[in-house]
Amino acid sequence: MTRSTKAIMRLPLLQWLVIEMAAVITLSLLWLFVSRLAGYSAFIGGLIFVIPNAYFAHRMYRYQGARQAPMMVGNMFRAEGVKLALTAVGFAAVFILMEPVHVPALLFTFAVMVVLGGALRFLIQPKRQL
Amino acid sequence: MEIVYIAAAIILGSGALATGIGFALLGGKLLESSARQPEMAPQLQTKTFIMAGLLDAVPMIGVGIAMYLIFVVAG
Repeated sequence: MTRSTKAIMRLPLLQWLVIEMAAVITLSLLWLFVSRLAGYSAFIGGLIFVIPNAYFAHRMYRYQGARQAPMMVGNMFRAEGVKLALTAVGFAAVFILMEPVHVPALLFTFAVMVVLGGALRFLIQPKRQL
Repeated sequence: MEIVYIAAAIILGSGALATGIGFALLGGKLLESSARQPEMAPQLQTKTFIMAGLLDAVPMIGVGIAMYLIFVVAG
């Protein structure tokens, strides 16, 4: 067993967060051409994805290594449950508290961020800690 | 108007069921693979993390649409 295969992984959480926030801001600026409300709604839609996803990544990498595998899987389930709940609460809060809201901008930005988030994890993968 | 609530419930329920099955398979395979090859555990965790992100993409959009149905269409 070499040292490199035993080494734990370093999560590029900050890098993902910065790229995701840059994408959210870019999409919001594009929606600003439609209206100010659309830009604001798009930003909120992006945040509804980014915040639960950051929590999921943080929680999933709390435990690492083969000895911690049961804890790792348990945390993965809990993180996913909390992520879905946070997303539902985020949408509910926006639809109840934010009046008026530009629904197409909100849902479009959210959907784009979901696709982008998956692609980002493929493109920027966690590195081995040296 | 009740039909909107039923539609939202079906969306949320189907999404939760599909995510549950997917995560159960994913977690089971992760445990099995980590037990077979412990030295591969960090890499397997990374692959699991990537797959988890893809797995819950569609249910997440479903949650958004269900909330829209409940709070805007029916509300």
